[in-house]
Amino acid sequence: MAESGLEAILMQNRGALLRFIAAHGGGEEAEDILQELWMRVRANPPTKPIAQPLSYLYRAANNLMLDRYRSAKQAAKRDSDWSDSAVTEPGRSDEPSTERGLIAREQLDIAQSELDALGERTAQIFRRHRIDGVAQRDIAQELGISISTVESDLRRAYRAMIDLRRRFDEV
Amino acid sequence: MTTEDEALDWVIRLRDPGFEDWEAFGAWMAGDPARAEAYHALAIAEEDLGEMLPAETAPVVVPSIADAARLRHGRRTTRRLWLGGALAASVAALVGSNMLDHRGGDISVATAPGERRSVALADGSRMILNGNTVVRLDSADPRMATLDRGEVLFEIRHDEKNPFRVSVGGDQLLDVGTAFNVVHEHGVTAVQVSEGAVMYNPDSDAVRLDAGKSLRVAGDQAVVGSVVPGDVAAWRDGRLISDGQTMAEVAAHLSRYTGERVSATAEVANRPFRGVLSLGTREDIAALGPILGVAVHRTPKGWELAAR
Repeated sequence: MAESGLEAILMQNRGALLRFIAAHGGGEEAEDILQELWMRVRANPPTKPIAQPLSYLYRAANNLMLDRYRSAKQAAKRDSDWSDSAVTEPGRSDEPSTERGLIAREQLDIAQSELDALGERTAQIFRRHRIDGVAQRDIAQELGISISTVESDLRRAYRAMIDLRRRFDEV
Repeated sequence: MTTEDEALDWVIRLRDPGFEDWEAFGAWMAGDPARAEAYHALAIAEEDLGEMLPAETAPVVVPSIADAARLRHGRRTTRRLWLGGALAASVAALVGSNMLDHRGGDISVATAPGERRSVALADGSRMILNGNTVVRLDSADPRMATLDRGEVLFEIRHDEKNPFRVSVGGDQLLDVGTAFNVVHEHGVTAVQVSEGAVMYNPDSDAVRLDAGKSLRVAGDQAVVGSVVPGDVAAWRDGRLISDGQTMAEVAAHLSRYTGERVSATAEVANRPFRGVLSLGTREDIAALGPILGVAVHRTPKGWELAAR
């Protein structure tokens, strides 16, 4: 889809997109955020043809809101780190990179075994969805199981993986 | 359900590549500011899962190769065992990676002999590639695919205004609401339709192939035949169904499916074969002689189907 085509879709659905941004907590800044969204889309135009341009814009808006949330969270964390570091040794937060690599590998192993502990089918469905990006409907078809089975397995697996992620982040 | 549970469901649903329910998602968030908060926290953690997961799933273990390796190590598998394996494997084989190789604007999707791969297209259509297959997609035209070599089952989401086209060996196939299998090898194109219909060369021949019809194009000859719709793309569950295909085509099919190199000698190459083959291991290929009515020799290069 040409850039101008996307722009037309954005203009046509301005109200809906603004409402979406506001629901995300964008509130009074919604107009500015929509502007930022458009700058982003223009700076990184889609590399593949888009079947659903409006869905593409919603997706981009969602990503933008998540990025904003992430940077707000990081800023808050920096502030609290700053006050913490005033009473500890300076420069301790930079771990050697090999150690970080080791931690990453350990995390990968732990995640694998936690996932496998959920059962082979659940682990496979999760990998297919999260790593290969296959739709639930297609996974159900491939494995010859119902979509509700796929849904409940995904719920369990995502819950376990997100909880694990949070445990890692707390350390 | 708690807000947290609901938020998790949205996180999962939004990960689906074809998610479109944005209005409903927005309405849910708008109901209570705590919902957006819960969603954000979960979605961020979910994004960060990438750091502790492999970048892609383990490479697909193709049944024939796995079994061949096992045989090499002296462990024999019974046919019954293998059949179970074949069904599981046809599922496992579809659980391949969906990696697309971008080359010079065109997107090329390829499989190695013995490999099978399922590729989801942006419009919800799907291509399932048999082994030793090359398909090119046109990045400027998502409703167009070119089969350079091999075999593909197309499951096309029909759009009357924008029909899907397959270009193969200089011919055009136009979908009319469809699942169809296409093989192109050694200048021969074979089409089998299991659902809907396909139009062959809509601009010139305009031959309509309904479900249950097949088409075989060799040189300047095109012959329409019949096929049992349930038998179309039987390779997906480890069966190779031949309805008068030549021994050369059967050999090509065996090579594509198993990853073993199988050829037919000139003497038998044009002999037709009718029947169903169920196979996957090297042992199976050797055992095909009586069914195919040929001698099967092991050669340094692979397997040879020869006169008895």
